[in-house]
Order: sequence, then structure tokens, then C-alpha cells
Amino acid sequence: KCPSPAAGGLASVSARGAEAGSVLARVVRRELGAPPARRAHARLAHSHFAHVRTLRLQDDDAYFTHTIFHPTQQQLLTATSSGDIRIFNLFTGVEENSYQVHESYIYHMQASRDGCLLLASSTTSWRTLSALWNMKEFEQLFQLDNEEYVEFSKMSDDRIIGTKGETASIFDTRTGHELMTLTPAISNQYAKNRATFNPTDELVLSDGVLWDVNTGKEIHKFDKLNQTHSGVFHPNGLEVISNTEVWDLRTFHLLRTVPSLDKSEVIFNPTCTALYAVCSDQDSEERSQFDTSFKTLDPYDYSSIATIDVKRNIYSLGVSRFGTQISLVENLGDFEQVQESCVKLYDVGRKRDHDDDAEEEEEEELAGG
Amino acid sequence: MAYHYVVTAQKPTAVTACITGNFTSPTDLNLLVAKVSRLEMYLVTPEGLRPMKEVGLYGRVAKMKLFRPPYEKKDLVFILTARYNAMILEWRTGTNGELEVVTRAHGNVADRIGKPSENGILAVIDPQARVIGLRLYDGLFKIIPLDKDSTELKAASLRLEELNVFDLEFLHGCSNPTLILIHQDLNGRHIKTHEINLRDKEFSKIPWKQDNVETEASILIPVPSPLGGAIVVGQESIVYHDGQSYVAVAPPQIKLTPINCYCRVDERGMRYLLGDIAGRLFMLLLELQEKMDGTQTVKDLKVELLGDIPIPECMTYLDNGVVFVGSRLGDSALVRLAPAREEAPHYVQPMESFTSLAPIVDMCVVDLERQGQNQLITCSGAFKMGSLRIIRNGIGIQEQASIDLPGIKGMWALTLAEDSQYHDTLVLAFVGQTRVLTLNGEEVEETEIKGFVSDRQTFFTGNVCHDQLIQVTDEGIRLTARAAGGWRLAARWAAGARALSVVACAGARAVAAAGPRIYLVAIGDGELQLLAEVCMEEEVACLELGPGGDAALLGVGLWTDISVRLLRLPDLAPLHTEKLSGEIIPRSLLICVLEGVCYLLCALGDGSMFYFTVDQETGVLSNKKKVTLGTQPTVLRSFRSLSTTNIFACSDRPTVIFSSNHKLVFSNVNLKEVTHMCSLNAQAYPDSLALATDSTVTIGTIDEIQKLHIRTVPLGETPRRIAYQESSQTFGVITMRVDKLELAGAGGGGGGSGGGAVAARASASTSAASSSGAAPAPHKHAPPAVDVELHNLLVVDQHTFEVLHAHQLLSTEFAMSLVSCRLADDPNHYYAVGTAILNPEESEPKQGRILLFHWCEGKLTQVAEKEIKGGCYTLVEFNGKLLASINSTVRLFEWTSEKELRLECSHFNNIVALYLKVKGDFILVGDLMRSMSLLQYKQMEGSFEEIARDYSPNWMTAVEILDDDTFLGAENSFNLFVCQKDSAATTDEERQQMGYMGQFHIGDMVNVMRRGALVAQLADTAAPVARPVLLATVTGAICLVVQLPQELFEFLHQLEERLTHTIKSVGKIPHSFWRSFNTDIKTEPAEGFIDGDLIESFLDLSRDMQQETVQGLQIDDGGGMMRDATVDDLIKIVEDLTRIH
Repeated sequence: KCPSPAAGGLASVSARGAEAGSVLARVVRRELGAPPARRAHARLAHSHFAHVRTLRLQDDDAYFTHTIFHPTQQQLLTATSSGDIRIFNLFTGVEENSYQVHESYIYHMQASRDGCLLLASSTTSWRTLSALWNMKEFEQLFQLDNEEYVEFSKMSDDRIIGTKGETASIFDTRTGHELMTLTPAISNQYAKNRATFNPTDELVLSDGVLWDVNTGKEIHKFDKLNQTHSGVFHPNGLEVISNTEVWDLRTFHLLRTVPSLDKSEVIFNPTCTALYAVCSDQDSEERSQFDTSFKTLDPYDYSSIATIDVKRNIYSLGVSRFGTQISLVENLGDFEQVQESCVKLYDVGRKRDHDDDAEEEEEEELAGG
Repeated sequence: MAYHYVVTAQKPTAVTACITGNFTSPTDLNLLVAKVSRLEMYLVTPEGLRPMKEVGLYGRVAKMKLFRPPYEKKDLVFILTARYNAMILEWRTGTNGELEVVTRAHGNVADRIGKPSENGILAVIDPQARVIGLRLYDGLFKIIPLDKDSTELKAASLRLEELNVFDLEFLHGCSNPTLILIHQDLNGRHIKTHEINLRDKEFSKIPWKQDNVETEASILIPVPSPLGGAIVVGQESIVYHDGQSYVAVAPPQIKLTPINCYCRVDERGMRYLLGDIAGRLFMLLLELQEKMDGTQTVKDLKVELLGDIPIPECMTYLDNGVVFVGSRLGDSALVRLAPAREEAPHYVQPMESFTSLAPIVDMCVVDLERQGQNQLITCSGAFKMGSLRIIRNGIGIQEQASIDLPGIKGMWALTLAEDSQYHDTLVLAFVGQTRVLTLNGEEVEETEIKGFVSDRQTFFTGNVCHDQLIQVTDEGIRLTARAAGGWRLAARWAAGARALSVVACAGARAVAAAGPRIYLVAIGDGELQLLAEVCMEEEVACLELGPGGDAALLGVGLWTDISVRLLRLPDLAPLHTEKLSGEIIPRSLLICVLEGVCYLLCALGDGSMFYFTVDQETGVLSNKKKVTLGTQPTVLRSFRSLSTTNIFACSDRPTVIFSSNHKLVFSNVNLKEVTHMCSLNAQAYPDSLALATDSTVTIGTIDEIQKLHIRTVPLGETPRRIAYQESSQTFGVITMRVDKLELAGAGGGGGGSGGGAVAARASASTSAASSSGAAPAPHKHAPPAVDVELHNLLVVDQHTFEVLHAHQLLSTEFAMSLVSCRLADDPNHYYAVGTAILNPEESEPKQGRILLFHWCEGKLTQVAEKEIKGGCYTLVEFNGKLLASINSTVRLFEWTSEKELRLECSHFNNIVALYLKVKGDFILVGDLMRSMSLLQYKQMEGSFEEIARDYSPNWMTAVEILDDDTFLGAENSFNLFVCQKDSAATTDEERQQMGYMGQFHIGDMVNVMRRGALVAQLADTAAPVARPVLLATVTGAICLVVQLPQELFEFLHQLEERLTHTIKSVGKIPHSFWRSFNTDIKTEPAEGFIDGDLIESFLDLSRDMQQETVQGLQIDDGGGMMRDATVDDLIKIVEDLTRIH
């Protein structure tokens, strides 16, 4: 692609819109008053990830299944296949606490913004269970039986939305009372339906259907173009990302198709300057298909920024409060028989190599373990 | 804890918006200029622009638009700030005659979620003032209906189908408000119109659209009725479209550089001015033709190049061919468009220039004159407006001549020649004698004036009516008239028994006092006549005649009862008595009108001064204020400079007093002591001052009257970094210049000789006394007429600022950093330059160089070159070694005995290490997006250790070390913050983490921080501040951050809190909102900083409001006891705080 005539140099400092490709040219222009090139800087940052620390389980039976950053403390919460939550200090890497909260495989956690509450969902072959925990002593506040997946509302943490197959239920966070149930007239039967609020908490997307929360009525049913993902809202409130399809929330037209998002879970960083896509091709029968790489995309136009291969199966990806670090659950071996399990922390934007010469060693280290 | 005070020493100078309208009254033509967060109102007069009022805003002006509702007789202003505060402002003359800014309506129009548009905020107002339209977030259009009585601005959101909107406007002459916009989709750019239904708050229909306009079209100009329609300005073409038909032209003149602003010239909308980013001005003319039905349509568009202007950010047409051009890359200007092309190559004539330091990208603090007063040399401006600025606090007197004459007691300039406008004589008074000096060209010789007494001390002399001279001594008044053979005594008047002691004289009247008696003497043609006589209660200490004719005011200062009286001429009727507190007698009075306000100033024997505003009708004094000017008796004299009246206070700390924005400003002068002064406008010394010290008379010219004095050294290219090298008495400056690459054959001739870059204009690097370095290499695959950037190291003489040498770098090489250093045992001082080789395809530079140069005996020698793997953002001298930040790394190079740079150690823990500051063994690193970290250099191991880091995601723009534990940072959302390392913490974790000790929204992007101040700390100040750091910003502002003692911080914090209630903010934006630390991810209240700009505004308040503010405030009486603070306590503290900058 030809660079636009203005893009290379400084001369266009007062021209509208043009962004320099090089970080150096952008810094030079910023000094002269060019608008902050946040997007270009964010692209640069999300193309490099430097390994900082590896966390492992001391006991061997279990393996890591999920990871999130503590919303307020310098801690990392990890969940295991045996149903406990291990809390690590981010500075020292020391395991500070461990709580048995479920009896088996925890596959999702979400903390409230104030760091007081935690939602965790677990599954066994005979039943699924989600529950709300107090994060101080890890007392269970209430259980949400049979909810496969739960998350908080978006503007505040005062509501919880749970998913049970094609049905979404809204609960009051304080009392645990069910406030509303949303069941589509005709189910789309997505394999991994995950009901979710839109950024203003006025809409809910579940099973490919858009609901008005105030009336409980269906607004629109998006065309089903994949088997797995019902979809998530873009934090800008204008788009719905449903697997590879991006829908315009206002017109319900298809805005674009993004092949790189195929079968991926989409996670936005807090400033909404990057989105992470982790491919987790887990359909109900065969859950062992984990990808060994994750992708970063520009959430403005869904253009790819980078694909980062960690050479192990990525079970989960967590983004820190300010988006400066990510944590990955990296497991080696088959789903049924995990050989080695660890959580790795990465600095966003920092180059992996310590020195130009050390680059290859580092890569080997990553590959070989 | 850390306690800091931040204050603006130089307000922002970059112009971000300007509009012309009738704001202050229906008949006034005004110019309103927005400079980031300040609004300046000017009156357009035949003599030029007259400043009327300047106000600060608690926000950055994002958009400023004028409109006039049908029920209004003058224009109102709509302003939207960058943090989405909307307001409608009116400039109104209040009951006290002062111009005030009234917030007619306000509101915040931000959404909690939404995607802020990448093309920035757009705001438009319907030409019939029915509705305001805002595009803040993609996919949404907000409307604010304009109702007459609504004081709340509430926006309703409309869904806008077009996501990527570049510009929008309201069309003229539509029955419903109709929007036109340029938007882009996958197929290109298009224009489209939308009619708005105001009642239902929705878009009702699309009257017309035009797909596929030019791909770079970015400006819409709505054309007024009856023509209607709009003009679309692109990079290569200009199109007029009215919905039915369109006319397109592609003028070759505009092809080279994009147009970035426009203004309409005539009401009908036939002529427009266009400005491009190279600073060229064009006229766009609509040519009309008549249609069959008698209406007119556009036949053709004509574009003509008018000439050069400053690189514009905004323009507005004032009147009579005069245009204001606002710039943020250098000085703004007022230009006149000549009615016809003169001899000169273009139509544009500069009229007035408005100094701007913006953008300041680097600076150094030096004491060049070794007077203990720092100067600031800044790299200011960009492209053709690049310059160095030498900034000094106070007003400079440039000495032209001096005469050794001790013991002067008074000094006056006279005009003896007939019909001359110049002074030619200086009369000097000594104890018991008077001497007369004739100024003959530059020669001075002693002479005599017939009719003058020379064996007495003159109290006053001057030219008076009827071509006469007056001389007043203790024995009486003498009037001297022109006679055939020279001068001759024409009349005498004596008071009687007691000798005269003080006198005041103006035009046709003299007032003299002997003891307590005051005599008013009329000066006639050859006669002196006593008009009136009064006896005061006490002896008269000083006299002053106010402005005005026969009924002028007379100010009298008295001994013993320490009072100032105001009397009315001609009968000397008493009007007002003002007792001055204290026991020090008044020694000098002055009554004068500054910026339309009449002041009475009264200097006392101890160097302090009271000043009042005077009601010229009643003689009542009000708004009493006191300042300390010096420690010795002070003499006040008025003088004129550039057609404004100013006051000179002669004392041991000479001060110039002037009025700025209707406030008296006190500015020190670069002289040690002045006992007397007078204005002097002699042929050889025009517009000068004569100043007497104990031993000499100095004739000098005075700088332009402003608090900070700024001298400009134009470079004509962009300065990037500056370094001072004392040993060679030079400055090193790295600059960037843009040349036009012209391919051979482009002009049709030539043939195969390759191409070369051609300098666009003469600039510092092309006109240096000598030069070296790479010759521009021809680009192989460059498109025609592309811009090439060439970087140079300039060596500049520290005294003359002449460019002694220019060294050009390689053609794709960017000069990024510069330092003057002395390395290892090498006795030489070197300039080290860090560079980057820029490849447009790379997201980060992969290569660069560090170059070492030696400037010696007029020759520049390159002594070393080191290739590096990246761009060198910063260079610092560190323990006799060279510390560099190269891409993500911090590296230390040592200087070997073989004169080579050898890498000693490196640190890798950054994304891009942009900034470095050092102190001892410590290194502070500012990262592109990972805030600050502190490294320690371990000398023994030869390695770096990371001691502490701030883990917040701050995008740094400047850093500075305040003390061993405290660090100041600025980030790109216009915030400042202070971090502290906690060496005493118990855990590693706590030690490694820097704690936040302060945060503050400064509202401007800081480019550079340097330790130092412009003013030396005064002894005995109520504002003991420490560790000053100067900050300079993109918008040309200079700020000062100092540390405060905790008690003062807490006291000022209370005052600050009270002032936020006392002072009504423009647009009703809360002060706490403005100063809150605000980034993409968090908004937190300001802490750890005192807003000095708010504190200093205490001095602008009326006495009543000051009293109200002080109520209940407790102050330490000096001995640890708390008592109620008085207004005078506060004035003393705040005035001392104003003196630190």
C-alpha cells in the first residue's frame, strides 16, 4: 500500500486526520500540537507483549482454567479445574490465598468494579452452577442454580444476567431475586450463548436476539450466521460483534465481516483502544480445541494488529484494570490430560527481547518451556 | 507528602479560534480570540485592535461560534469545551461601567458512552439561530434547540447514519434547519443533506446529496441566501453545489498544500478567503450569471493567490480589507488586503503582529548576563514561523548613552527650538543649583537659558502654553517667553513669606504649596495670575494635578495626619479625604487614566505605595490597595510608550506600572536603582527615557511594556532542541526544514539529470555563515513536488544569535536530541546529537546515530559517530558519560581514551523511553505510555537497577526530578502529577511502587520541563517557595511549579476553596471539575497542587469581595498563635506569590 503523501513527514502537522506511521514522527508532531494519535500508539502497544512472570500451581492434580485481574488490588485471581480460586500477588508471584468455591472446573469469573464481589461459574457433568461470592472472606452470598454463565450489568454492578441455554435471566445483585426472564420465541440455539447487557444497560443480547430491558420485549433477531456465539456489544454502543459478523445496532445492517474473529471470544481493553480475540473452539461435544495464539485488533475498524503465538493452549485471557498487562492461562497437553499448567503475565507494548541478540534465546525459552 | 503550587507565568499564546461580531454593543465591531482556555475581546478601531477584556475559562475551547437570535441586537457566543461543557455567553457592560461576561445558558452535553469522533468535535449553528448542532460521537448528532428563556443547554441525540463525518454545516435559506455534511464510506467521500424536524427532534428527509466528491474534501462553506448551497473544498478541487447544479474547478495553485481554514469576506457570500497549511492566502470568488427566471446562479469559481500570511489555524475578516489571522505555530497577525496589486508581489500587507511562543518544544534556562537573573531561550514556532525566543522577566532598558553627574534631585526635558516636536534640552536640578544640558544630535553640552535661575534647585520646569517655559524654585514661579534674541523672563510670581516646597503643573495652570498653603496660578501669555488659595490643616507633602481642563482634580498629600485630599479646581474645593494608615508620610502622588480607569497612586517614604481608583466626578477614592515597591522613598512619574500611558516608580527597586486587562501590573526593570526619570523624545534618542541614579544620567529605550519580555530570533525553520555550551559561548540548535523536491523534467525541460531538493525559502540553516554535512541526495521514487525534511545542527552565537554554522544530516535522518557535554577526562566540550533514520514503512525506527561535534575557533569537527539500533530520543550527560534513550532502552555510553563511544550498560523495561532526567546516580525515565520509572546506576557493577515505577498507564510528555524522592510528570491528557518513591517502606513491593502525591489538570500539553526560575528568590517574602521548575507547553504557555511549606499549602488551600465560591466562573463550569485529573480511564479530584492562577485572581477582587473571602480564615501570627486573617495579610502573601514569576 502506498503511504499517503502526507503520512511520512511533519509538513502535514496541521492537516486533518493524517497519521504518521512511525511512533517517532508522531512524537515529533505531538510536540507541535498535532492531535494525539491515540489509535496509532495503541496499535503499536498492542503489537508487542513481553513475558513478565509465570505462575504455577504447587499441587499437581488440578490445572488453571481461568484468570482475571483483581479490579482494585495488585492481585491476580485464577480459577482451577478442581473448583478453587487461587490469589497471587502480582509483584512477588506468591500465592497469597486459596479458596475452594466450587467443586469442579471453574470456567468463568467476573469481579465487581469495587472489588467486593465475585461471580464464578462452574460445571460438572451433572449440573452447572454459578454463585456470587464476597471477595473478602469468600463467603457465598447466593447461588444461581443451573446458570451456565453469569455476568454483571455494565453501567453498575447492581444487576446480574445469567444464561441458561437460550434463556437469559436478570437478577438483583443485592438480593439474588430474579427480576426478569428473557426467552426467545424461536431459539437460535447457539452453542455458547452468553447473555449480556449493552453498555447503557437498556438492551440485552441473548441467543442472537436483542431485548429491551424496560419492557422485556424482543426488538430484533439477528441473522444466525454461525453456530457458536450469540454476540457481544462493542463498548461504543453502536455495534454488535457476533462471531465474524459486525452488526450496526441502529440499522441492524451487517457492517462488516471480520474473518479473524472466527470462533473467538472477544475481550476489549479498558480504554477500548484494542480488542483481544481468543479462539476457543469449544463446542459441547469436543472441548479440547484450544488455540495456541491470540489476536489483537483495532476496535475502530477491526483491522488486525498482531497475532501472538504462545505455543500452548490458551484457556483464558484477562486484561488488567488499565490494560497495561494481560494474563493468560497456558496449558500444555490434552484437555483431559493437562501435562503442564501455568498462568503467564505479559506487559502490553513492551518488546519481548531484552537485547537484539537475546531475541532467539527468548523465543526458544518460550517454545521449549 | 508533597505540596506544590502551579502558576502561569506566560499565558497561552496559540490562537485556536477567532470570530468577528458586535459583541459588546450593537455598534461596536469586536474581535473575539480564543487562546486555548482564554478569551480575549478586542474592539476594532481605526487605529487597530484595542483590548477590552480578557477572561479565563475552566476548559479548553473546542469550538467557538457566533450567532444572533432574532430578538437580540448584538451577537452572542456559543462555546463548547473539550470536556463537553456548552455555554452561551454575552459581553455586557455592567452597572459599574465595567464589561462583564454573562453566562446566558450552560450545560454539559457529554454522553457516558459513545465513540468520540476521530475527526474531532464539530459544532454548527443554524443561520437563523433556531438550533445548535454538535457532532461529538460517531453515529450521533446532537441538537440544542435555542429557546429565548432557557438557561440550561440540553442536547437531544439524533441518530446519524453517516459514521465518518469530516465536516458539517447548516445551509442558509431553508424553512427547516438543514444540515449538509461530508462523510466517507468504503466507496469514498460524499456530501449529503439532512432536514431536521425540531419538534420531533429527528431527521425528516434528505433534500439532496452528491456521491463521490473529491477523496480529500474536508471543508464545507455554506453560502448565504439568496444563493444558498455550499462550497466543498478539497485538496485539488473546489466545488459549488446547490442541490440542483454544481460548478467544479481545480485551480493549480491550491494543489500543493491543503487548505485548512476559511473566512467569508462579504455578507452576500460572493468572496471568501482561504488559508493553507503553508501560510498562503487565497481569494475565492463566485462568479454569477442570471438565469431565465431572473434569479442568479453560480457560473464559475475563481481562485487567486493573494500572498503570505502566518500559517493559519483560523481567520476572520474584520472590515475594510483587514483580516485577523490566528496561528498556533507562531505569531498571529493582522493583515490588510491591498485593493489592487501594488509593486509588491502580493496583495497582503502586514499591519500588526501578535507575539506567540507556541509551540515551545524545548528550552534552556541560562544566566547569560550573569546578573543573577535567568533567561529562557525557547525553541518556538514551526516551519516558516520557527524561531528562538529569549524570555526575561521584567522590562529592559537598553542603554543608549550615559553622563556622569552625581547628586541629581530632579530632571525634565524641554523643547527650546521653535515648532519642534523633539526635546532638545535636559534640565537637571541639584541642591542649590540648576544645570541645563543641550542635546545636539548625540552630543550633550551645558548651556544656559536666559530667564532661568541657575543658583537654586528647580522643583519643576516644562514647556507651557503660549510657547513659554516655566521654572519653579523655592522663591517662586518664573515664566520665560521666546523673544527676539532668545529667551527672556516674562513674569514672576512669589508666594510671600514662606518658600515654595512642592509644585504641580499642567498646561495652563500651576499649583504650588508653601507650608500648608496651596496656590493655584494661571499661566497666561506673559503673565502669571493667582486664581485661588487655600490653607490645609497640615503642611503639604506632595501635589498632583489630575487630567482634565479647568475643573481638574488636585491631589494633595499631607504631613502629620498622613492623608490624601482631593480638591477640585479652580476654586480648590475639598472633595474627599482619605486617611492612610501608618506613620509614613506620602512622598509622591500621581493621578492618571490607564485603560479608561482613573487611578490615584500615592508612594510613601518607605517604598510602599497605596493606589485607588478615582471617581472623576466626585473625587471619591475607592478600591484601596497597597503594594511594596522598594525600601526607599519612591518618586512616581508617568511616561508614554507606544501610545499608552505607563508609570515609572523610581526607587531602589525601580518598577514599571502598567495596566493590563484593567488591572495594574508591576514589572521590575533591569536597573539597580533609579532616583528620577523623565520621558525624552530627542531627535537622536526618540521615544526614550532619561534615568538618573546617584551618579549618572542614563538615556535609554524601553522594551515593549509587558511583564515578561520576549525577544525573537526568527529561524524560518522548525527548531527542535537547544543546548547551551558556555565554553564556546554558543547555543547548539537542531532544526528541521522542509524543502521541495523537484524532479528534473517536471518543468518540461531538463532530462535525466535526477532531481534535488530546493529550499522553500531562506532560513537559518541555508543562510548560515558556514555549513557542512550531507548534500541532499536525490530521491529515487519520490512523486513530484514532495516535501523533504532536512535536519541540521546549528551553532548559534550566544550574544548576537547569529547562525555561525549549519551541519546537515543525512536525507532521511531525523535529529531527535541534543546535549552539550564533557566526557570522561577529555577537556573539550562537545555537542552530542542523537538521530533516527526514518523509514516510512516502519512503525519504529530501526537505526540511528549518536554524533559528537566539537566547535572550536569557528570550525565544527565531527569527533565521533556511533551507530545505534533505533532512534535516540534523549541524550543526557551523566557522570562524565553519555546517557541515551534509544527506542525502548536506556543506554549508557562511556567515552574511551580512543575517543569512541562504547556501550557500558543498558536497561530494558519501556515501550518507548522518551524522556530522561538525572540527579546524582538516579535516572528518571518517562515512557510513551508507561508513566515514569526511576533507575539507579550502580557504579561498581556498571549496571542499572530499577528502583521504583509508577504502574499507571500515563502517556508522558515531560518529566522532571523535583528532589531525591519526588518526581513531576506531565501526560498527554493535559494533566500534571507528582510521584514519590518510598525508600522507607517495609516491603519490596511498596518500595518498587511510586505513590501518587499530587495530581492536577493543567489544561495544556507540557512539552518540556526545566529546573529553574525566571526570578531570583526575594528575601523576606511571605511566599517561601522552593525547587522551582519551569514548564513550557504546546500552546506557548510557560508555567511554574514550586514546592510550598505544608502550613502555607494548607492556608492557600483554604483560600482556594473560598475563591471558588467568590469567583463566578465563565460558563458555570466548577473549578473542581476543571482541575480534576482526567484521562480516558479515570477522573479524580485534584490534590497536592494549589491553583496559583485562581489564588492570584484574589488581587483582582474588589475590597468587599476580598473581605468576604477572608471571613473566618485563620492565619499564624508568626508566633504559632492563630488569629483571623485580614485582607492585607492575604494581599501581602498573594502579591509575594505573584513575584515568584
